[in-house]
Amino acid sequence: MPMGHTATAQAGSGGLTATEHRLANGLRVVLSEDHLTPVAAVCLWYDVGSRHEVKGRTGLAHLFEHLMFQGSKQVSGNGHFELVQGAGGSLNGTTSFERTNYFETMPTHQLELALWLEADRMGSLLAALDEESMENQRDVVKNERRQRYDNVPYGTAFERLTALSYPEGHPYHHTPIGSMADLDAATLDDARAFFRTYYAPNNAVLSVVGDIDSARTLAWIEKYFGSISSHDGKQPPRDGSLPENIGRELREVIEEEVPARALMAAYRLPHDGTRECDAVDIALTILGGGESSRLHNRLVRRDQTAVAAGFGLLRLAGAPSLGWLDVKTSGGVEVPQIESAVDEELARFAEEGPTPEEMERAQAQLEREWLDRLSTVAGRADELCRYAVLFGDPQLALTAVDRVLGVTADEVRAIAKARLRPDNRAVLVYEPVSADPQAESAQDDQTDAEDGADQ
Amino acid sequence: MTDAAEPLTTMEFHPQPQPGEAQPWAFPAPDRGTLPNGLTVLRCHRPGQQVVAVEVSLDAPLDTEPEGLDGVATIMARALSEGTDKRSAEEFAAELERCGATLDAHADHAGVRVSLEVPVSRLLKALGLLAEALRAPAFADSEIERLVRNRLDEIPHEMANPGRRAAKELYKQLFPAELRISRPRLGTEETVSRIDSAAVRAFFEAHVRPATATAVVVGDLAGVDVDAVLAETLGDWSGDSGAPRPVPAISGDDSGRVVIVDRPGAVQTQLLIGRVGADRHDRVWPAQVLGTYCLGGTLTSRLDRVLREEKGYTYGVRAFGQVLRSAADGAGASLLGISGSVDTPNTGPALDDLWKVLRTLAADGLTDAERDVAVQNLVGVAPLKYETAASVAGTLADQVEQHLPDDYQAQLYVRLAETGTVEATAAVVNAFPEGRLVTVLVGDAAQIEEPVRALGIGEVTVVSG
Repeated sequence: MPMGHTATAQAGSGGLTATEHRLANGLRVVLSEDHLTPVAAVCLWYDVGSRHEVKGRTGLAHLFEHLMFQGSKQVSGNGHFELVQGAGGSLNGTTSFERTNYFETMPTHQLELALWLEADRMGSLLAALDEESMENQRDVVKNERRQRYDNVPYGTAFERLTALSYPEGHPYHHTPIGSMADLDAATLDDARAFFRTYYAPNNAVLSVVGDIDSARTLAWIEKYFGSISSHDGKQPPRDGSLPENIGRELREVIEEEVPARALMAAYRLPHDGTRECDAVDIALTILGGGESSRLHNRLVRRDQTAVAAGFGLLRLAGAPSLGWLDVKTSGGVEVPQIESAVDEELARFAEEGPTPEEMERAQAQLEREWLDRLSTVAGRADELCRYAVLFGDPQLALTAVDRVLGVTADEVRAIAKARLRPDNRAVLVYEPVSADPQAESAQDDQTDAEDGADQ
Repeated sequence: MTDAAEPLTTMEFHPQPQPGEAQPWAFPAPDRGTLPNGLTVLRCHRPGQQVVAVEVSLDAPLDTEPEGLDGVATIMARALSEGTDKRSAEEFAAELERCGATLDAHADHAGVRVSLEVPVSRLLKALGLLAEALRAPAFADSEIERLVRNRLDEIPHEMANPGRRAAKELYKQLFPAELRISRPRLGTEETVSRIDSAAVRAFFEAHVRPATATAVVVGDLAGVDVDAVLAETLGDWSGDSGAPRPVPAISGDDSGRVVIVDRPGAVQTQLLIGRVGADRHDRVWPAQVLGTYCLGGTLTSRLDRVLREEKGYTYGVRAFGQVLRSAADGAGASLLGISGSVDTPNTGPALDDLWKVLRTLAADGLTDAERDVAVQNLVGVAPLKYETAASVAGTLADQVEQHLPDDYQAQLYVRLAETGTVEATAAVVNAFPEGRLVTVLVGDAAQIEEPVRALGIGEVTVVSG
């Protein structure tokens, strides 16, 4: 086997190990054996996301991801889905700012099929791509946009805050779903050019995790992927760097038909992959992660001014990460009251830092979340690809939890003081309009009907 | 390089590979036992699963809520983690998170479920907290008042969500008003505002005791003395014995009709089409699972093949069978449904196509190939689906709540593999007869009412959103 490079296994957290390999065409491969359950996960990350899109073609990376399920040279129509599901596998693809991923989890004895399918579309998608698929998936994606964003209260908050946080022209100014106008404008030629530019073995990382024989798996990968030619059409994404702090508060008030006032904000935070990013993760967990967080205790338990209050972290490697504040107000409470309470809590935290108990709780929560991610072969495969694509080293996935546990209280306080400030955020305020609040006696119910979120 | 003249395919192609030999896999069989306090315990060792899942099922179904107090089971479930005889609400939450644990509780038609997830290294501590919550919840006035207010605040958010709004309307349409199942699980503004700590405590005392509860513990238990851990925690919970509870008869009206919940300006129509189905004990269940998958289980099923992949009307439409209540004598019921969102201008054409799919299915039946792929998927994905402790624990606890034997899921896979095309066809055609479906549409009535009326799928009424 003409393998370019083979690294040996090294110890990782929880006894997990991964080996790295590279085909002559540049495809990077990461393998990790685990024989506890007869399943194997295949995960393929292409180093292309919405940050690579150009003005007038937002949403193209995600629309293209849909087209990857429309057949290739040896796979007809929906054959990719049909073959994987018919083999007892599950599959999907997703698109973010920074990458597009495709994954299949298979019963062990069907692993080779998933590799064959991924190779077929990496090498020969354009043999099957046609106007009919393009028109159909354009409509599907527009309905995805309506269902997930446009027809949901507060549904466009993420898009609006992102646009506020990253200036016009910045590669992260728009979100992966794209605009309706740009989705309408995309052409078959755009899709073909996109494939020729970004879908190459040397722009991808393939990981296979689970009940596998590494040597045999590597031989299959060489057989199916090895003859796909590499190419170098890709330009680096536009520069995503920005000053550490915004320097002033950005603000937008939305008057819309929403059920309650809301205060949302995005804080500009350190890039993923840095120690400061892990530190701010802990800070946000203490401030707004879960039922013992400072904001929950203050706004939901004590002041009782909010229905829910929390912080999330959107980790980004190619641009500043975003710290996501979301507070929905209770009853007739006004936003300024919430906002001053939030600012007070953040200022206090910046001055005093976390207590030892808070550090322990936040680190325990983050550790469990990490164990959850690693509890499935698919989760592990995705993390190995993530670290390989974004940071050049899949082994970092195996030690990520140790890095979070190594952060000190001083580091947490320092990053909070530097970044969690009013002049470093974009704020979105929702004020409900019209509505006839007495539509009828308010009730609710639910079914566990699964909406079609397959792609 | 983007030379237009380059050949489209340059790689070396190989024929589709054949599968290797399948590895045996079976849904895990739990060990069942009873603690001295009467608590039933199911335990299951899953090697490698470092996050242990514990599900406690309490025999407190929604139909036991007192008249006019819909939602008291939910408030009680939420209040379990809001302080005990030893800890305030904030202290309890802090201790739990210190274990790296999550604790969720919710009330449903079948009973109250409390779900704990925790790294195995901190299982003892977290189970101790769970036991404390079950044994001696504080139900402080101030905490209950807060939970009630919080719940009232949630209601407008749920009403604004098209999917939730559709479900509320469907249950109201399908079931008679006197049945608890017709009304929102979490209560209405009117009923929730009546709930106080006395009502919560009374409900707790009437329905929560170890003798009628079951705990399911799943994870990598190799290094754990489970007996000792249980004795020290849940074993310390006491209570009197409880009597078995009959499941009330459930009737429904599924005469074909359409209800539009008006949402002026909505860019999509949320659709939820349903009727009342059989108890999960019914022999038809495996065939119905199979047939329903063929109709709308995935994007290559019949509905999405047309509505999504041919027409582009939707991001996805799914058909499903959901257990509402299940009784050993088969007196329970399920909801058979089809749900999804379609864009507003195509609402009429999408429903027209949906009905055509149902008619074609009834006329021509499923194909053998369809049936085979469905079986291979439903049975084949089992080892993937049950990789985590939480998924195994959830299914075991569902079986308990639904009065099914511990090997139900394992047997279901055997039945699915035995089910033929004819049986699966009959089951799904009976499950979704075109004239006996209640259709709820949450969307812009001004735009969709006339096209929907023209389809002739039942009388159309419009209600406000």
